[in-house]
Amino acid sequence: MRSDEVVDCHVLVIGSGGAGVRAAIEADQYGDTVLVSKTIVGKGGCTTMAEGGYNAVLKELDSCEGHYEDTLRGGAYLNDPGLVRVLVDEAPDRMADLIRWGAVFDVDDCACVAQRPFGGQRFPRTCYAGDRTGHEMMTTLTERMADTEVETYQEVSIISLLEYEGRVSGAMGLDRNGEVMLFRSDSTVIATGGGTRVYDISTNSSSGTGDGYALGYRAGAEVIDMEQIQFHPTGAVYPYDARGRLVTEAVRGEGGLLKNKLGERFMTRYDPERMELSTRDVVSRSIATEILDGRGTEHGGVYLDVTHLPASQIESRLPVMLEQFLKFGVDIRVEPMEVAPTAHHIMGGLRIRPDCSTTLKGLFACGEVSGGVHGANRLGGNALAETQVFGKRAGETAGKAAVHGRSHDPAQVEGERNRLGKYFTGTSDPAAVWRQLKLSMWEGAGIFRTLPALQQTRSVIQHLQSLQLRAMTAENLVECCTVRNMLTTASLIVDSALLRPESRGAHVRKDIAQDWTMETSPFGHTFISRGCRGIGKVSR
Amino acid sequence: MKQLTLRVLRFDPKNDDAPHFESYTIQVHEGARVLHALHAIHDDCDPTLTYRYCCGTGQCGSCAVRVNGEPVLACMEEARDGISVEPLEIPVIKDLAVDLLPYIEALPVICPETTATAQMPGKDLVETMKPLRSCIGCMACVSVCPALAVSDFGGPTVMRQEMRLTLDPRDTKDRESEAVTEGLFRCTSCQACWKVCPKEIQIPGKAIEKLRELAHYKGHSLPRHAEVAALIKETGRSVTWTAPSFLELTTEVMEPYGPVKKSVGFFVGCMYNLRLPKTALDAIEVLRRNGVRVIIPRDQICCGSPLIRTGQTEYVDTLKARNIAAFTALSIDTVVTMCAGCGSTLKHDYETPFKVMDFSELLTETGFGSPAHLGLNVTYHDPCHLARGQGITEQPRVILRKVADITEMPSICCGSGGGVRSGFPDEAAALGERRGEEIKKTGAEMVVTCCPFCEFHIAGHTDKPVQHLATLLLNGYKEKEKP
Ligand SMILES: Cc1cc2nc3c(=O)[nH]c(=O)nc-3n(C[C@H](O)[C@H](O)[C@H](O)COP(=O)(O)OP(=O)(O)OC[C@H]3O[C@@H](n4cnc5c(N)ncnc54)[C@H](O)[C@@H]3O)c2cc1C
Ligand code: SF4
Ligand code: SF4
Ligand code: FES
Repeated sequence: MRSDEVVDCHVLVIGSGGAGVRAAIEADQYGDTVLVSKTIVGKGGCTTMAEGGYNAVLKELDSCEGHYEDTLRGGAYLNDPGLVRVLVDEAPDRMADLIRWGAVFDVDDCACVAQRPFGGQRFPRTCYAGDRTGHEMMTTLTERMADTEVETYQEVSIISLLEYEGRVSGAMGLDRNGEVMLFRSDSTVIATGGGTRVYDISTNSSSGTGDGYALGYRAGAEVIDMEQIQFHPTGAVYPYDARGRLVTEAVRGEGGLLKNKLGERFMTRYDPERMELSTRDVVSRSIATEILDGRGTEHGGVYLDVTHLPASQIESRLPVMLEQFLKFGVDIRVEPMEVAPTAHHIMGGLRIRPDCSTTLKGLFACGEVSGGVHGANRLGGNALAETQVFGKRAGETAGKAAVHGRSHDPAQVEGERNRLGKYFTGTSDPAAVWRQLKLSMWEGAGIFRTLPALQQTRSVIQHLQSLQLRAMTAENLVECCTVRNMLTTASLIVDSALLRPESRGAHVRKDIAQDWTMETSPFGHTFISRGCRGIGKVSR
Repeated sequence: MKQLTLRVLRFDPKNDDAPHFESYTIQVHEGARVLHALHAIHDDCDPTLTYRYCCGTGQCGSCAVRVNGEPVLACMEEARDGISVEPLEIPVIKDLAVDLLPYIEALPVICPETTATAQMPGKDLVETMKPLRSCIGCMACVSVCPALAVSDFGGPTVMRQEMRLTLDPRDTKDRESEAVTEGLFRCTSCQACWKVCPKEIQIPGKAIEKLRELAHYKGHSLPRHAEVAALIKETGRSVTWTAPSFLELTTEVMEPYGPVKKSVGFFVGCMYNLRLPKTALDAIEVLRRNGVRVIIPRDQICCGSPLIRTGQTEYVDTLKARNIAAFTALSIDTVVTMCAGCGSTLKHDYETPFKVMDFSELLTETGFGSPAHLGLNVTYHDPCHLARGQGITEQPRVILRKVADITEMPSICCGSGGGVRSGFPDEAAALGERRGEEIKKTGAEMVVTCCPFCEFHIAGHTDKPVQHLATLLLNGYKEKEKP
């Protein structure tokens, strides 16, 4: 039983999205760096799928102060101001790194990076590469990493963090065949991305299962604001299996109009000033209200219309959208899209300091798995910037951290092995458990929330957690671990939602009347760690 | 919900000797994609089925498989009843998951100045680079590339990446030379790669030919290709004169038997003019029997395809101008080709003031007299520059079915194109052998095609006779006339 493959390194990076690869590139300058990823580098994660863009202050007329204020206001002032400051100050430098490394962003006539307007921002500061911005970034980062000494283990899933003498000392993973691998490190960077696949309708890629929140929480780290789930206003509604597929905000950035089945531009009722380019929480609730009130379309959405734009603009600025809809039989140049909200982003996550250290020694976090940057609602374009700004910082802090001698606790590994072994005699099909979980999350922890509905979902999760999952073969072990992680992430979301007795940003409690605004709210972050939970109070 | 039955090729190298099809009946929603059908199999029938996916939206390139033999993205292709799902034709890890990493790792990476400042290239360059950048690394192109299968060729997406790097002023390496060592001249121009590319990246035209052109100007052209270029420049033809040519055997206007239904110009091309004039005469006979007046300008010369495909483009504009003038001088509005390569070149590389049609296109459009069925069992070889270059696959078959029975074989390159037959005879021969194998499998008595290069090359790798469609059709007419 001691034949586990053991890999030792200075810095271990978990995740190959924008944040993970950026961290690995940086960490490589300080010592042996290993990157482990559930998916093939460049393919998995949500960064590759990001379409709209990357926010950075590049023009004289714009200012970091403006970006800072927009981000805080968009985030309903729940953001960690120190993290926001770092984000806005460093986003331009990280953009410059990408350009130096060969990224092909769209440019204006003077060969300056082109920027488009995005919701909730006073200045067009969203840089883009058509509507495949994230893919362009991943291609650039993957190329860059190929030119370093970083060693990669692809299609290996991390299932738990190793703890030794009060520090995180690496991680345990399963390879494609279900064989155990141990990675031992001085510092560990977790960059596993988000987890909205715990919802029935989601934009996330296959790896958006919240593994990182669960891994961190189980190891003892603190998570904050997990109730803050961004529902993107515009997800596809048809065909059934493609529900939730993102229709990028760039569609509205380019001038797309939202209309209900009566042809009304209903945003006039909800945010007459910013209209379609209001913040995502507002637009999502507006659409959801139109649909609930019976003004939705046949497939249960509203119309998003670009037919008034020149075909050439659609072809060059929104080629991925055009192609995807054409595949489903809709030519967006001549007919409107049908859209409805979809679970998109988890604003909360592992609590980090500006240097990306978490509440656990030896563990660093960056990207969507971390919390605090976006507060109660993320502005479109800020997440890609976050991956680069905090990816670099995490890699640097982890790289500069001291060497600790690489060890692990055999008892911990034995315990994990026993847990895995039990899956072979389990009785519950992981796919069925996931199905029940995501329906219940959509029902009870969706856009509009109430105490009874949250409690109902919480009891469903508790029931599902009591079931013993089944793995047919060693290869299926990772599915069991993933579903377990989803259950943990979902319970963190629901428990946090129960901790926040107010409506704030993306978190809406229909059953609570409040006489404060987001500026005057008495509440700060919700926080949960093993054995400690609560909500911060702010004295105004 | 609806019910579907599909067959999936299963293979676990640890336990199985060979792949085998398994059939599954599942319930899926209306509009479900192949990926959702695979999910249904995995969740409801057999959790041991291995397949790969990430984004589900055509953006990551994880999920390419073959559906009914054609590479597609599982997440974008609609699931239909009765389909077969197989892995791409690259080494399989298990079931539908193939080993993508070696191909991903083979991609060259940008090498910027270490002291570089962050400056984007200008708009024009960015716009040229963007299409080459949209590759999602699905490796569908790699899985169908004939050159990569038999030779030391980097493959289509490596060439795409080399072109992207060449264009980028931020890169510091000599990419043309690198591409040459990666086998730049080994591509047969078969067009298979970009026809299966989900992002429709025109690798042969927008990357390989452009790179060959740049490599040529850096002095990397193959000696055999340079000889052909010199010959064209000297004689206007890509092959030498050995016997009376088609142009010598015909007059400028060939009148039809009976009333004139249509009048067309005829572009003969070097091979039919100088190597296979008899076949071209057969085509003229067919046209005359179908009421077509054929005008054959004396001043026509090589179309330039051998130069364009190999990147030796200096003289191409002259050829184009002379050919266009030869036909416009006779007020011709429709030009017919019978060589797939010439046809594709005139259609895509020229801007002609006249319409260009393949022989089979013209006949099926204007209508043609019924020949006698010769009772032969033939197989049809799709010339790359006709099937993929011009999108013409059905028309030749419509004609062929009137004279013979067809036994189909997979549509793959014979190995003669792109200057490979002259540049790398070993590679061309290896591909020719593969073609020979396929022909053998069909059990056909004869091979029919519509391209002189294919005709010539395939003849060297099969013991069956190889004929142009026109010749067979003419035989059908002659048979019918027999008392
Ligand atoms: C469709 C879509 C469009 C978006 N568009 C935009 C946009 O235009 N602008 C913007 O700013 N933001 C956008 N976002 C949000 C943004 O893309 C993400 O927040 C961001 O990319 C997250 O990056 P990341 O590196 O943290 O994680 P990801 O890119 O999600 O990467 C996570 C990585 O972790 C790996 N991983 C996960 N679990 C494990 C495990 N257990 N073991 C090993 N590896 C693991 C995964 O395989 C993956 O490689 C979009 C999101 C989506 C889903
Ligand atoms: S054109 Fe044919 S030979 Fe050339 S790269 Fe594409 S598939 Fe390969
Ligand atoms: S060029 Fe096209 S087919 Fe080839 S790997 Fe890229 S996306 Fe796939
Ligand atoms: S799953 Fe990403 S392209 Fe199909």
